Amino acid sequence: MALLQISEPGMSTAPHEHRLAAGIDLGTTNSLIATVRSGKAETLKDGQGDALLPSVVQYQKDAQVIVGKAAKAAQLDDIQNTISSAKRLLGRGIADIKTLDGKLPYEFVASDSNVPQIQTIAGNITAIEVSAEILKALKQRAENTLGDELKGVVITVPAYFDDAQRQATKDAARLADLNVFRLLNEPTAAAVAYGLDQNESLSERIIAVYDLGGGTFDISILKLNKGVFEVLATGGDSALGGDDFDHKIAEWMLEQSGLQTNDSSAFHQAMVEARRAKEALTKANQTDVSLGGWQGVLNRTDFDEMIAPLVKKTLLACRRALRDANLNKDQVHDVVMVGGSTRVPVVREKVGEFFGKPPLVDIDPDKVVAIGAALQADVLAGNKPDEEMLLLDVIPLSLGLETYGGLVEKIIARNTTIPITRAQEFTTFKDDQTAMSVHVLQGERETVEENRSLAKFSLKGIPPMVAGAARIKVTFKVDADGLLTVDAEEETTGSKAGIEVKPSYGLTDTEIETMIRDSMENAQADMQARKFREQKVEADRTLEALDSAMAADAKTMLSEDEIKTLLDARAELQQIKENTDDAEILKAAIQSLEKTAEFYVARRMDDNVKTAMAGHKVSDFSDKNKDEI
Amino acid sequence: MLDFTQNYFELFDLAEQFEIDDSQLSASFRALQAKYHPDKFINANDQERRVALQTTGFINEAHETLLSSRLRARYLLTLKGIDFDDEIDTTHDGAFLMHQMEIREALEDVKNATDPLARIDDIAQEISGEADALKDDFIEKMEEGKLTCAKDAVLKMKFFERLCEESRRITEELEDELF
Repeated sequence: MALLQISEPGMSTAPHEHRLAAGIDLGTTNSLIATVRSGKAETLKDGQGDALLPSVVQYQKDAQVIVGKAAKAAQLDDIQNTISSAKRLLGRGIADIKTLDGKLPYEFVASDSNVPQIQTIAGNITAIEVSAEILKALKQRAENTLGDELKGVVITVPAYFDDAQRQATKDAARLADLNVFRLLNEPTAAAVAYGLDQNESLSERIIAVYDLGGGTFDISILKLNKGVFEVLATGGDSALGGDDFDHKIAEWMLEQSGLQTNDSSAFHQAMVEARRAKEALTKANQTDVSLGGWQGVLNRTDFDEMIAPLVKKTLLACRRALRDANLNKDQVHDVVMVGGSTRVPVVREKVGEFFGKPPLVDIDPDKVVAIGAALQADVLAGNKPDEEMLLLDVIPLSLGLETYGGLVEKIIARNTTIPITRAQEFTTFKDDQTAMSVHVLQGERETVEENRSLAKFSLKGIPPMVAGAARIKVTFKVDADGLLTVDAEEETTGSKAGIEVKPSYGLTDTEIETMIRDSMENAQADMQARKFREQKVEADRTLEALDSAMAADAKTMLSEDEIKTLLDARAELQQIKENTDDAEILKAAIQSLEKTAEFYVARRMDDNVKTAMAGHKVSDFSDKNKDEI
Repeated sequence: MLDFTQNYFELFDLAEQFEIDDSQLSASFRALQAKYHPDKFINANDQERRVALQTTGFINEAHETLLSSRLRARYLLTLKGIDFDDEIDTTHDGAFLMHQMEIREALEDVKNATDPLARIDDIAQEISGEADALKDDFIEKMEEGKLTCAKDAVLKMKFFERLCEESRRITEELEDELF
């Protein structure tokens, strides 16, 4: 260690202290958390040794929330209150959700904020809140395992996620009380995990990351050079994944079995069986399938044929990404496979054929993203001051504004390196025009309808001028997380009327704050409910102990009056137990019965001492009483 | 802190001319990012983080400008005091505009070709060949100090950029249909 260290601004000069940081892969089907320990990135496991946390959340009547395996197990019996694949709903409006081809078994209600809510027994829930529960569970796992608070996390998102989807992910993290160092694109994380930049033989490498998850597909082309990961192009489909493979099998089974396809419960059962069959076919050439009373056999050739159009769609996106990067297939040095769906043999085969080289599958495709995120989180936390790793990401979809005739004018083109700031000037069309509406869009198409509407707002207070005299500057700012803010300002008069916008389908800050407050109240309600349940168990134990004691020796030890006193007190506790939900009242009632029964307890203890020689035990009842005192 | 008064060529340590050393641009870009990227300021205060965001925004904008031949050419003219808005300003070369219309018509006609993908590849080749000729024209005019003619070449480049986009869009449409 140098005696004198000259530090860069922002770099800590304090002696090195390991700051706990983690990488989170918030997936459609499963989620993971990983961290760097003793220089090695590893995923953290739950009590049963599983790293994968099913991204399933079950809401119960008493505001209890169950996350993961237990929720997944409850799914079939409680479809409407058990939310899975919430990631597909993030940043989406009601209309988008209706076009998602998945048959969602949930009841949606529109809210004031345009964020669709799912009706559950515990109230209306947004996909953001569902995701927050998953993040909370992972955070808890990490803090239990590591024994300290996390200083920050890197959360991965599909590279193809648009602004609204990224914002929704960040909002979920805020609800889960996580400090987000960075939102990182999943393919970039995978590239980091493979550490292909360390290759000595070539100073510059081009790699393609093919990422097929449960509900999303991404393709990214990266240039790696001495620790710098530069994304050249990215593309994909944010509504295509392994779930769609399941769909194909499910549809086939329903068709073969002649069962009703519009019955959501039958469909869901078919999806579960389809998933199992798909997984079986990664190793076997055929598998038995059954649905309702129907039984059949699915072989790999038929399955490959079913999903062929979907696989082709992914290869088409690969072609486009290469073209965007101005590269040919043979310029790609390595192809990295990410996501559980790349276990499907025909996917590996076709991708290998397309790029003309066998894809890399050494790291578990389910874990590779979380591991890459953990490595970056460790660097960002400042645990590796000498590490030169730097990730330069791009914006996946062009950003623009609505202009004349419902057309879109692009302000920032897709695959522009972020962060970036760009401004464009506009003017008024009419004399004395004092307001101008600004419509922000994301996508590649020419017309407004074909692109995603991110935000609409109007700039007011433009001073009255002749048409064309006002100079309105609209500034787009995209930060390192790929999140956009837009300001509009009138320049000639120097009067600034800027406004920051949030995506149309996002939550407002007020809504998020309300949710955080609610969740704190909920946590309090949870605690209340738990306390009450504990007291109820206590009450039952007290009543049982009294009953069994009286059954044994009431006749020999107590007078008629004493028996009546005890039974009255017993009835009172019984009644309170049945009519209250307040832990404190119940606790007081238990204590009251115990006080009334004190003389009986004392008498039994004396008796016990007398019979101690015979080895009799002190009853549960008196044991209990001692604890209370 | 980065010196924002530098021009883009100075920023990347490049000679102020149209032809640039790509690997030098790339290496300087990486070095600047390694120093100023917001990831290096995660634990810094708000102001330092804002500066980092602004600085990398400037570096990225400069990089994008120098990477694109048309934007680089326009930027060189800006440095010579020739500023113009290519959304409004346009070339008045009649023969050039006629030729543009021919290429556009050929693009629209691609769908009717026996092998549309082969046809579009041919047209794309032609477009890129003509675009390269424009670059040579620009270099020549700059060397001769004929800035107005150089500006006209830049305005023409914009047409070719649109043609490239158009041919790419058609290719993607064809692929969608054929795949």
